[in-house]
Amino acid sequence: MLGFPDFWIFSGYVLTILSALFCLVYGVIRWRRGVEEKDGDYREEIKWEKEEIELIEKLP
Amino acid sequence: MFYLVTFTLIYLVVTVYLGYLGYRRTTTVSDYLLAGRQVHPLTMALSYGSTYVSTAAIIGFGGVSALYGFSMSWLAFLNIMIGVWVAFVVFGKRTRKMGKALDAHTFPELLGRRYNSRFIQGFSGLVIFVFMPVYTAAILIGIARFIEVYMNIPFTTALLGFLLITACYVLWGGLKGILYTSVFQGIIMIVSMIIIGITTYVMAGGVVNAHKALTELAPLVPQALKEIGHRGFTSMPAAGSSLWWFIITTMIMGVGIGVLGQPQLNVRFMTLKSDRDLNRSIPFTALFILFTTGIAFAVGALTNVVFYNTYTELSIQSVQGNVDKIIPLYVDRFYPQWFVALFLVTLMAAAMSASSAQFLATGSSLSRDILEQALLRGRSVAETTIVTRIGIVFGIFATLIIGLLLPEGVVAVATAFFFGLCGATFIPSYLFALYWKGGTKTGAKASIVCGLFLSLLWMLFFHEYESKAIGLCRWIFKCDTLAGLPWNMIDPQVIALPVSFLVFLFVSLLTSPVEEETVRKAFKHI
Repeated sequence: MLGFPDFWIFSGYVLTILSALFCLVYGVIRWRRGVEEKDGDYREEIKWEKEEIELIEKLP
Repeated sequence: MFYLVTFTLIYLVVTVYLGYLGYRRTTTVSDYLLAGRQVHPLTMALSYGSTYVSTAAIIGFGGVSALYGFSMSWLAFLNIMIGVWVAFVVFGKRTRKMGKALDAHTFPELLGRRYNSRFIQGFSGLVIFVFMPVYTAAILIGIARFIEVYMNIPFTTALLGFLLITACYVLWGGLKGILYTSVFQGIIMIVSMIIIGITTYVMAGGVVNAHKALTELAPLVPQALKEIGHRGFTSMPAAGSSLWWFIITTMIMGVGIGVLGQPQLNVRFMTLKSDRDLNRSIPFTALFILFTTGIAFAVGALTNVVFYNTYTELSIQSVQGNVDKIIPLYVDRFYPQWFVALFLVTLMAAAMSASSAQFLATGSSLSRDILEQALLRGRSVAETTIVTRIGIVFGIFATLIIGLLLPEGVVAVATAFFFGLCGATFIPSYLFALYWKGGTKTGAKASIVCGLFLSLLWMLFFHEYESKAIGLCRWIFKCDTLAGLPWNMIDPQVIALPVSFLVFLFVSLLTSPVEEETVRKAFKHI
């Protein structure tokens, strides 16, 4: 067991490496997901930005 | 000395320049506190990682690993699984969306707006403002001790000088300054830790041989440690012994779980643009934690093999019991001068990246949470950035004083104290804020107050490590603790966190829910 006589120490050591690999795989699988926000999020922001620009343009 | 001065100067010049770049690119409050909510995933990963992993992890917990061995690898596992995956996926995604919907700029502001309570925001801000300097001081003690040893600069001067440099770029650069410098600091940390990890295993005879050699050192464990349950550096402490309770509840669970309540880390999720960026940050952050804390803990334990092979004594015996000196001494004795210089720069980077984020959290707690919301009830007397800067200056002075007062060998314990306190105080109301629409304002208030005061009460009268050091229990009751084994060894968070959860649930079921409009707004993007 990698030179460890205690199973719990071996488990902690291996799980540390496996958890990093798990995060790596998780991130790679979801690399392209999550770009679209729930309906209304960016639309509202863009609308707000447009109103802001219009207001600024109207300023004397 | 040539390497030390050259490396340090190059490091400081680049850091100050990046801080200046942050200052130039900061124009709004959102820029100052959240870097404009447009942070790149790799920047997020490196800055989150380097804020999470500080000198406390490398020097403090590395030293603790030298004392207690590979049982600390469970903390590295929790650091990745809970500190990265659970933090990003379970908490981070909803924090980002809710933070944006509620226009929250700080962690207490997120809680305060979610529950529609100025008290929650103000009180949470106060907890951070009062207790954060203890953790920051612990981090800075680590680096100041190292500077004291290698540059022959007195501890007080080292602490003060280090504080001033960090203050400069936090004060002017805000979160953008912190992010730019953190990326640079994070890269230095990874390179240096990989070098030290590989060379240590090589010096100790390879992976399997190193572990076997460490196992053979078990008979040399000091008698005092054996009596409290130490069974060698490659075995867990005897189940149920006082050392077992200390390692499991304080060192592993206290820090491993408490990370979820860390305000300076939670606020980072609100800096990202989308869930995609958050997903992309996860692998980089996990690898960063593996290469820094994972290696630091393994190296810490293996210093015993290298010290024994050379001096026929354990590393703890070489430093006369001060665990914080083990890693610095190991690097000094077994590495060439250029690496000692690089390691010093690495520690400076680790200390600066973590403490800068903590100073910003301390400052924004004063300006945004305590002053604007709790005391002035939403009004503002001056620009948020100005009051934040005043708060940062206060935090710096508080840190300096605490840093001078704390005893030796306290780095890991002070870190565990703050992580545990934040965990018990914030995790229940934070988790339910993100997932349970039925959680009430009164439930959140009760949970936060109960989590904090139960933790403090446990520290003052039951958890022997703190109660003995503080002395209030002895003064009132003429004994160091009011509880016997195992209660006197169980970390405050292990007691206070479940109680805080139950209080939240129980009170929420009995009290009226948060206004529908507030809940609808908070969950708008979820």
